[in-house]
Amino acid sequence: MIGLLDTLLVLALLTTVGLYVFGANRFAGYIGMAAYAAMTVIVVLVGQTLSGGETAVPSAMAFTVLGYPMTWRIDGLGWFFALLTTGAGFFAAWYMSGEWNEAQPNKRIQHGTLALNVLAMLLLVSSGDFLSLFIGWEIVSWAAFAMMTQLGGPAATAALRYLLYALAGAMALFAGILIVRSATGSFAFEDFAAAVPNLPTATKWVLFVLFTAGFGVKMAIVPFHLWQAPAYSFTPGASSSFLNAVSARMGLFALTLVLIKLMGPALLAGMDIAYTWFDARSALLWLTAITMIVPTYIALMQTDARMLLAWHGIGQGGYMLLGILVGTPLGLAGGLLHTFNYATYQMALMLAVFAVVHRTKTADLDELGGLITRMPFTYITLLMGIIGLAGLPPMNGFVSKWMIYKSLLNTAQPLLLIAAFIGTLGTILSVYKLIHNIFLGQLRLEHREVKEAPLSMLLPMLTLAGIGFVTGWMPGLALSMVDIAQSALGIGLQPHHLGGVDLPNGSLNMLWVVGVLIAAIGVGALIFYFLGNRRWEVSQYDNYAGGHFLSADVRYHFSHEFYPGLARVIGPWYRGWVVKMERGLQTLVAVLGDLSGGVFRFAHTPFYLLVAVSLGLLWVGLFGKI
Amino acid sequence: MLELFADLVLMPLIAFLFGLVLVLMARRVRAKIERRVGPPVLQPIYDIVKLYAKKTQISHGLMHDVSIMMLLGGFITAEIFLPVPGLDGLAAEGDLVTLVYIMMVPMLGLALGVGSCANPNGSIGISRALTSMLAYDVPFVVVIAGALIHYGSSNLIDVVRIQQEGGVSTWGVTTMPLLAFAGLIAMHGMLGKEPFELYIAPAEIATGPMVEMSGKYMGALFVMQCFQFYTVGVLYVTMFLGGGEMWLTFLPKVAAVIFISVAITNVFGRYKTEDVIRWMWRWPTAIGLVGLAFVMLKVN
Repeated sequence: MIGLLDTLLVLALLTTVGLYVFGANRFAGYIGMAAYAAMTVIVVLVGQTLSGGETAVPSAMAFTVLGYPMTWRIDGLGWFFALLTTGAGFFAAWYMSGEWNEAQPNKRIQHGTLALNVLAMLLLVSSGDFLSLFIGWEIVSWAAFAMMTQLGGPAATAALRYLLYALAGAMALFAGILIVRSATGSFAFEDFAAAVPNLPTATKWVLFVLFTAGFGVKMAIVPFHLWQAPAYSFTPGASSSFLNAVSARMGLFALTLVLIKLMGPALLAGMDIAYTWFDARSALLWLTAITMIVPTYIALMQTDARMLLAWHGIGQGGYMLLGILVGTPLGLAGGLLHTFNYATYQMALMLAVFAVVHRTKTADLDELGGLITRMPFTYITLLMGIIGLAGLPPMNGFVSKWMIYKSLLNTAQPLLLIAAFIGTLGTILSVYKLIHNIFLGQLRLEHREVKEAPLSMLLPMLTLAGIGFVTGWMPGLALSMVDIAQSALGIGLQPHHLGGVDLPNGSLNMLWVVGVLIAAIGVGALIFYFLGNRRWEVSQYDNYAGGHFLSADVRYHFSHEFYPGLARVIGPWYRGWVVKMERGLQTLVAVLGDLSGGVFRFAHTPFYLLVAVSLGLLWVGLFGKI
Repeated sequence: MLELFADLVLMPLIAFLFGLVLVLMARRVRAKIERRVGPPVLQPIYDIVKLYAKKTQISHGLMHDVSIMMLLGGFITAEIFLPVPGLDGLAAEGDLVTLVYIMMVPMLGLALGVGSCANPNGSIGISRALTSMLAYDVPFVVVIAGALIHYGSSNLIDVVRIQQEGGVSTWGVTTMPLLAFAGLIAMHGMLGKEPFELYIAPAEIATGPMVEMSGKYMGALFVMQCFQFYTVGVLYVTMFLGGGEMWLTFLPKVAAVIFISVAITNVFGRYKTEDVIRWMWRWPTAIGLVGLAFVMLKVN
């Protein structure tokens, strides 16, 4: 019996094969668009089944491995991430449908890896037990690796580092799954969820640490974050925006699945750390707080537009996990909604930045400027995107962040709230630098002839920005989707309406907020146009220079070291701590790699093999369950 | 419905008119300290009319104009979400957190407008302005978090009601004096007054957000200052001084808060950007965190 999920997976598989074969074709983008659109439709149908009362849509695909069943089925949580995946795939394919595609030397690889990633991610989010989860996880890791290494260069170097992390993470995950098996006797999610409250505290801690580390690598939680920004930034545009928008969110999916759905926030909160005020949940909450702040301020110091956005992606992941770990219906809804919102604006931002790169051949924030006159629509996309990223009204980023703030308030956690606020403040500074250095200020002489991005690239960007605006104005639309995901988690739903949420101690109705804001800006426009004398427009370079020599022949754009005062305060800290930590970790990894490689190659390989086998046998002998 | 419409019109209008009074007060106080007579009562209005009527109205493109609209629009919206005596407006539809973020819209508008003027001196001003914002907003968010935890609600109508039902002994300033003090300092920074007036830098006309603003652009900035004085004052009164029971006590409270700021500002020099950050992240933040600790002790 072929069900919806099977159709979806088969379609994804066919797309992968088809695009790998026909990817060099100039219509490959359209083929991809059609395929991802069809997948999105199927996902929407699955969503209708799920909101109709079904808990999961099963797949007919099932194997038995060594007597253990391995199944695939998609529940609300997986559905939510599947929707993000196919949606992001659609927009990436759209972006690659025209001029972009023709300019690429490796069309086939770009289309093929995109389809492969979509397939892998769909497999992962529809995994039905720990075995299929592990397999999905591995495929996702390797698919992402294939995408990052497609052009070589700095992205490939960073991707190698990612691979190292991912392998370590996979080992952690594998160990965790084996412990689950030995503790419960099966790989089924349900058995684990039923057994975990009665496990010894030490086992729970081991599982918590192993799963958090294993999935945290993909999610790039500090301190597993060093690979992500360069690996995501230097891949080609559409791939990069896909990676940025949803790829890292697979870690969030898996963390939510294991920590919230199977273990539950209450259980985590009960795992106290002796001699401290912390428990497992609050310790992880503080890790997310660091993830919100540190990468955001690292983003602020970047001079490459892509790196800046990718570092923000890591920081925004902190917000999502924070909301989810708060564990109240409001916090969960906020965290999941932020995942959706982030996917829309981050993808729009990355696509806009790559449109600039496509036209000017550079993403260096010190070598751009004044492009607002040349690329006005790209500017509008970027503007809407940064308002979302900074979390200001009227865009959707504000709504989800508001829900996260509010959930922290309602659970009386002011320090985390302050951390979230501080992350947002840094974001505002950083995104202004982004838009200022690219689009405002003086146009460089070599960019006088730059044209606006072609329609095939503009339309997906503007559509995404439009989705960001509409779901900011009517967050109820996105919250209904979040409901489906939340209903799978068993913590309860957050009641909402089209405009936001009503709470006894402070509500949010974006219909009013956005409506009034737009009306008020309209009043501002009336005042501007109808009061006072007529304005006239002058050349961009007709500036008052206060006696300094600035003329139209000498372009000057204040972009290098945009925040000198701030750099003097946090610069030493950045160089002293972040850069050194990164170098230290790199050296550590290199040394460990050399060491283990050396031991393996030159020392007594059979001896080590013997030791490993003996230890394994000893373990089996002692615990006797595997 | 009619009442709501009246709120929507009246709240920004009152804000503007009383903002003019506050601007006048600031200039008069400065004049008194410098032993001058000071401007006449209607001077703020003369200034605005003069600026709007000027013949030289130079625009640096559409974004420059839109930024002026965002500037006014943001503040008009903020007024509607800020309850005052008898007028709740839409305060129930968006809370204090919403208000704080709405108040950043004009800042963003100004920044975009100045950037699109393509004057590097203007960009320097915005760089300084945003850095100062980061500086004073850190103690400000500590204060906000503490106050919200204390009142148990982020709905400003509730915040006002809690303080009015209990009288002066439940005012924020008596129940959480440290947060109130830190909030006063953060507010002073927010108004861009000495020693935190680096980004306006009135002494160096060539460097700052105003460098390309002439005519009604400058006029809009002037109007913005009226709104800013009023909004910041009202927000402080709402959080710490019992909000407004009636206009006769409410407006003097707002004026008193702003008076503190404009009175002490004249005795200071100016901090460099990095010193603003260091100072703001050290003293008011520390005071705020201690205040927050007291709030948490009381709540638990």
